[in-house]
Amino acid sequence: MELVSLFITSFIVNNIIFMQFLGACPFLGVSKKIDTAAGMGIAVIFVITLASVITFIVHHAVLVNLGLEYLQTIVFILIIASLVQFVEMFLKKSAPGLYQALGIFLPLITTNCAVLGVAINNIVYEYEFIPSLVYSIGTSAGFLLAIVLFAGVRDKVDNADLPESLKGSAISLITAGLMSVAFLGFSGLQL
Amino acid sequence: MNKLDIFKNGVTTENPILVQQVGICATLAITTSLINGIGMGVAVTTVLTGSNIVISALRKFIPDEVRIPAFIIVIAAFTTMIDLLMHAYTFELYKALGVFIPLIVVNCIILARAEAFASKNNIFDSIIDGLGMGAGYLLAMVLLSSTREILGNGTILGFRVLPEAYEPMMMAVQPPGAFILLGLLIGIVNYLSNKKKA
Amino acid sequence: MKNNFVKLAAVLFIIGAVASGILAWLNDVTSERIALNEAMASMDPAILEAVMPGSVMFNDYEDTDLVETIKGENEKVINLLTAVDASGNELGKVIRTFSTVRGFSGDMELYVGFTPEGQISGVSVISHQETEGLGSRTAEPAFTGQFTGKSGEVRITEDEIDAITGATMSVNSFVSAVNNAIDVYSEYVK
Repeated sequence: MELVSLFITSFIVNNIIFMQFLGACPFLGVSKKIDTAAGMGIAVIFVITLASVITFIVHHAVLVNLGLEYLQTIVFILIIASLVQFVEMFLKKSAPGLYQALGIFLPLITTNCAVLGVAINNIVYEYEFIPSLVYSIGTSAGFLLAIVLFAGVRDKVDNADLPESLKGSAISLITAGLMSVAFLGFSGLQL
Repeated sequence: MNKLDIFKNGVTTENPILVQQVGICATLAITTSLINGIGMGVAVTTVLTGSNIVISALRKFIPDEVRIPAFIIVIAAFTTMIDLLMHAYTFELYKALGVFIPLIVVNCIILARAEAFASKNNIFDSIIDGLGMGAGYLLAMVLLSSTREILGNGTILGFRVLPEAYEPMMMAVQPPGAFILLGLLIGIVNYLSNKKKA
Repeated sequence: MKNNFVKLAAVLFIIGAVASGILAWLNDVTSERIALNEAMASMDPAILEAVMPGSVMFNDYEDTDLVETIKGENEKVINLLTAVDASGNELGKVIRTFSTVRGFSGDMELYVGFTPEGQISGVSVISHQETEGLGSRTAEPAFTGQFTGKSGEVRITEDEIDAITGATMSVNSFVSAVNNAIDVYSEYVK
C-alpha cells in the first residue's frame, strides 16, 4: 500500500516536470509531436530505471563502504553517461527496430537532469531498494505523461495567432505553467 | 574577437536563459526568493569559469575521442567542490538549493561552453567567456527571483517592499508561477530585441 | 590502434585521479564543518541557549574511555558533552542524565551545563512525564533558572529551591538529576 502511494505521489502529485522542474530542457525542446514525445518518454523511463538501480548499488556497496560519498556526483554522472552509451550500442546490435525508434533520443538523455536528479534523490530520501525502484519508475512515468500531454497541447498552440514576441519558448513556458496549475490541484492528495 | 564582446555576448545576445533557454531546470525550481537566485547564479558562474579555465588549459592534452568524458569529469569535480564549500560555509543556502547544486553538472550551458568555446580558445578568453555567460545566467536568475519574491511574498531579500495590505500572490512562488513568469520574461526580451532589429 | 587506446585511457585516468585527489583534500578540510552544520540543524536552539548561553551545539566528549567508565559506574548518566560556540570554541561541559529519584510518574531527563569556572551555566529538561500544569512547571524557565550560577561542586538541597505547590515529587526528582550531574562533574570532570 505504501508503495502504491509512493508510486502515485511520484507519478502525479510531485510530477517531475510540473512540480519539480527536473528535465525541463528536453521537455521544452523535444515535444512537438505526440509520437516523438512518447518515444523520448519511454527512452527516459528505461534509462532512469536502469541508472537508478546501478547507482543505488554502487552507492551502497562501494561509495559508503569506502567512505567516498563525496565522489557521488562524479561517479553517478559517469555511470549515467556510460550506461547511455552502452544501451545505445546494445540496442543497435540486438534490437534494431527499437534502436530506430529510441536511438536518436539516447544521446540527449545524458544531460537530462531528471536522470541524475532521480539517482541522487534515491540516496537523499534514504529509500531502500524496492521503494527506490518504485520511485524511479513512478517519476519517469510522470515524465512520459507530462511530455505526451504537453506535445498534444503544443500542437494546437503552434497554430494559434500569437503576438510575435510570445512565439516559441515563451508561449511553451506559459502553457506549461497553466498545465502545472492543473497538477497543483493534486497536491495534498493522500492515499 | 574583442574581449568586451566576448563578455557582452554572454550577457545579452547569447544569454543562456533568456535567449538560448538551456539549463532552465534550476532557474524554474529555485527562484522563489532573490537570495536563492543569487546563490545559484554565483555557484553556476564559479563552476562555469573554473571548468572553462581547466578545459582551456588542457585543450592540447585531451585527445578528441575522449573529450566529452574528460569535460564531464572536470565539470563534476568543480560541482562537487562548490557542493562541499556551500555545505560547509553557506549552510542555509545549501539546504534551500538542495539537489540543484549537484545538478549543476548536467546544466547544459557548462558542457556547451566547454565544447564550443573553452576547448578552442586560450585561457584568458575562456575566463571572460565563463564570466560573461555566468553574468548572463545570474542576470536572468535575479530578474526572475526578485519578481517571484516581490509578487509571492511582498519582500525583497527578506525586507518588506510592498505594504502589509498587499495580499501575496501565492501562485508566483508555486510551480505554475515559475513557468508563466519565465515565459513572460522571455516574451519581453523577444519584444525588446525585435524592436531593436526593426 | 592499441597504443591509442592506452593513451586515451591514460589521459582519462590522470584527469580522474587528479580530480579525486583534490576532492579528497577538500572533503577532508570541510568535513568537520559540514558535520557541525548538520548537527546544529538537528538541535533545538532554545535548549542550547538555556543550558549554555552562546552555544550552537554539543559535541561528544573526546575522552571516550572516561565516558564509558562514568556510564559504567553511574547508570543514570547518558552522556558527557562539550558545548561549543559558532567558531568551535569550547564554552563548557554538559552532562545529560536521568534523575536518581523518581518523579510523580517516571524519571526526568535533563541537560546540566557547567562553565569552565565550575558553576552551573543552565539546566534544561529533555523529557519528563510529570502532570501537566503541576510537575510540568519544573520545565519552565522560572524554575530551571534558579540553578544557574550555583556551584557545580556542592550538592543542592531542596531548601535552596523555591518549591512548586503540589509538585514536591517532581521537584525532588528534578533536583536529584541536577545533583547526579554535580556528582559526576565534581568527581570526574572538574
